[in-house]
Amino acid sequence: MAEKKRTTKEILQEKLTGGKRIPLYNPVALKRLCQEFEQWRSTMVGEEDRKNWCVTPHTILGSEIPREMLYTPLSNPDFDYMQDLGHSGQEPFTRGIHANMYRGREFTMRQLTGFGGPEETNQRIKFMLTHGGTGINVLFDLPTIQMYDSDDPMSRGQVGMSGVAVDSVEDMDLIFKDIPLDKVTVSLVTHYPSNTAILFPMYLALAERRGIPWDRLRGSVQNDITLEEVVRSGPEYIPPKDCFRIQCDNIDFIRQNVPLWNFVTYNGYNLREFGTSGVTEMAVALANAIETLEEMIRRGQEVDWIAERLAFFWSPASDFFEEVARIRAVRRLWYKIMKYRFNTQSPRSMWMRCHVQTSGVSLMREEPLNNIIRAAYHALASVFGGVQSLHVDSYDEAYSVPTEEAALLSLRTQQIIQAETGVTEVVDPLGGSFYVEALTNEIEMRILDEVDEIERIGGYVTALEKGWLHKKIAEYFNNERKMIEKGVIKLVGYNFYKAPVELPPINVFRYPEGVEEKQKARLEKLREKRDIEKVNSALLALEEACKKGKNVMPYTLQCARVGCSEGEIFKVFKQAFGLWKPPVFW
Amino acid sequence: MVAKIKVLLSKLGLDVHNRGLITVANELRDAGMEVIYIGNSFPKEIIKTAIQEDVDVVGVSSLGGAHLTLGGELIEEAKREGIKERLAFVIGGVFPPADGTKLKEIGFDGIFMPGATREEIVTSIRQIVSAKMDNSP
Repeated sequence: MAEKKRTTKEILQEKLTGGKRIPLYNPVALKRLCQEFEQWRSTMVGEEDRKNWCVTPHTILGSEIPREMLYTPLSNPDFDYMQDLGHSGQEPFTRGIHANMYRGREFTMRQLTGFGGPEETNQRIKFMLTHGGTGINVLFDLPTIQMYDSDDPMSRGQVGMSGVAVDSVEDMDLIFKDIPLDKVTVSLVTHYPSNTAILFPMYLALAERRGIPWDRLRGSVQNDITLEEVVRSGPEYIPPKDCFRIQCDNIDFIRQNVPLWNFVTYNGYNLREFGTSGVTEMAVALANAIETLEEMIRRGQEVDWIAERLAFFWSPASDFFEEVARIRAVRRLWYKIMKYRFNTQSPRSMWMRCHVQTSGVSLMREEPLNNIIRAAYHALASVFGGVQSLHVDSYDEAYSVPTEEAALLSLRTQQIIQAETGVTEVVDPLGGSFYVEALTNEIEMRILDEVDEIERIGGYVTALEKGWLHKKIAEYFNNERKMIEKGVIKLVGYNFYKAPVELPPINVFRYPEGVEEKQKARLEKLREKRDIEKVNSALLALEEACKKGKNVMPYTLQCARVGCSEGEIFKVFKQAFGLWKPPVFW
Repeated sequence: MVAKIKVLLSKLGLDVHNRGLITVANELRDAGMEVIYIGNSFPKEIIKTAIQEDVDVVGVSSLGGAHLTLGGELIEEAKREGIKERLAFVIGGVFPPADGTKLKEIGFDGIFMPGATREEIVTSIRQIVSAKMDNSP
C-alpha cells in the first residue's frame, strides 16, 4: 500500500517541534509578571472589561480573530527572537526580506492604468511616470480579459471598458509607444493562465520587433488559475486541470526564456475582494503555489529555479493590525514551507515577495472623499508589513475608472508616506510589539490550518473542481452582507455617522468615445494584411500542442508573431480542452 | 394575494464581477422569491430565457461600464418581444451618478447603485411588480 501523502502542516510539525528554543523572557521574570498581571486585572480592570476581555473586531473582509484588551509578554511567553523573527533579511524573514528594506529600495509605486484604446492608455501611463510613478501596471478591458476580440458580437458595447483593449501585437505596440521596454518594469495584469498564454507572447513579439532581447525585459504577469476558474463570472471556462497545466506551461516557458520576468503572481487580492477573509486569501495562494512547485518538480525542474521568482499579490483592508500581522505571518510561513517542505537552501526561494493593492471593496460610494482616508490607512499598514510594491485605489472607484486627478492623488498618497512620514527609515517598526507578535502567530497558524484543509481534500485543483472555494466565498460574503446591514460592521458615511445633507458631487471619469470603432478598424486592417496561411498553420500547430501535452507558449508566441488575434487563439483552447461549468452557490 | 415573484438574474455581457449579483440572488430568495441565476448572458438570450421561464422580473448587473449600451439593447429587445410593459426590468452595478437618470429614460423600472440595501431592493422589486400587475389588463 502506498504511503499516505503527508500534508504541509504535518511536515512542518514534524520538523519544527521539539527543536531547541531560547526564550527571550526569563522564567523568573515571567512568573513575577504573571502574578502582577493577575493582581492588576483584579484591581485595576473593571468587571465589564474583565468579562469582555476578548473582543472580535468586525470589519470589511476581516478574519474575525478575537483580540484581548491588553497584550503583554504573557501573550507569547516562549518568544524566541532569533527563531521567530530574526533580523531583517535573515531567516525566517518575519521582519522583511532585505536587511535595509526601504532604505535600500523604496517600495515601487505601481499604479494600475488601463482604459479605452491603447492610445489613451499610453497617455495615462506617461502621465503617471511623469509624476513620479516608478512602475507600469496595465489593466485590460473586459473582452480582452475574457479573451474575445473587439469585433466579436459578444464584445459589443464593452470595448475599452474597465481596462485597455488589446486584440493583437499591434495594440501592444501602441500601449508602449515611446516607452523603452528594456528600461521599465511592467506588470501586465493578465489574471488568467489562458490570457497570460495569449497576451504575454504579444509583448514578447513586440520586444522582438523592437530588437530588444528578452533577457532585458523586467516585470510580471499574474497567471493564476484561481482567477480564471473561481474569481470571475464569464460565458466560457476551460476545465481546471487544463487551466492549471497552462499556468505551469507559462511558468516553464517564461522561466527558460525571459529570465528576469516574474512568471506568476499568486493573486490573493481578487479572491479576497470577491469575498474571503484575509486568512483564506493567503491559504489559497499558498496552496496554489505548493501545488505549482510540486508539478514543476514532476516536470523535472529544480525547485529553486522556479521558487526564486515567485511573487504574491495581497489585498490590505481595514483591520489595521491584522493587515500588518498578516503580511509578516505569511512571510514567515512561506519561509518555513520552502525550507522544510521543499528543502531549499536558497534565501531567494524563501522570500515571500509581494505587491499589494489597497482594498477596493472597502471603499464606499457614499461620501467618496472618505475613501482617500481609508486607502491611506490600507497603504500605511502595507508599508508597516514590508511589501515590495504598492497600488493605492482611488476614491472615485465606486463610480467609474479613476479620473486623472484621482489617479494622481493615489500616487501622491504613496509619495507622502515615502517622503513625509519618515516611516520607511526603520525596518519593521511594529516588530516586537506584544500585540503584533501574538497576532502574527495566530494568523500564521490559521493560514496553515486552511492550507491543511485544502490538502486534505486532495490538493488545490481538486478543491476547485469540488467547489470548495466557490462555496466558501458565497458563505463569507453573504454573512458579511448581513453584518453590514445590521450595522455590526460599521462603515462611516454609510451605516454609521451618515451625512444629514447631500454632499457636493465629485468628478467622475467618462470613457472615451469611439474606441470600439477604432479597435474594429485596426483588426480589420490586420486581418487584411496578414498572411492567412501562416495564421492558419500557427493556430493548427497550437491545437496539436494543446492536445499532445506540449508546452503551449512557443505556439501561442508563433500565433502572436504572425498576427493572430486573441479571440482566435482562445478559440483553439476551447476546441482542444472543451468547456467546464463552474459551480455557483448562493 | 400575490403569487410568488419569479426573477431572472444575469450578468450583463462579459462583466467579470458577480459578487453583488449573487448576493442579491440570495437575498431575493430569502425574501420568498423564486430566483433563476443564469450567469453571464447577452440581451437576446436574456429576453428569450425570460419568456421561456415566464418570469415577472428581469434583473441584470453591470460593473464594467456597459450598462448604457447593453442595458439599452436589453430594453429594446424586450420591447420587440412585447414584454417590456408586462415585466419589471431592474439593473444594478457601478455607474456614474448621471447615468441613473439615463437608465430610467432608457426604460429600467428600478436602478440599484452600490450601497443599495437588501430592504431597498426587495421592497422596490415588490412595488414595481405589483404596480405592473395593477396596470395589466
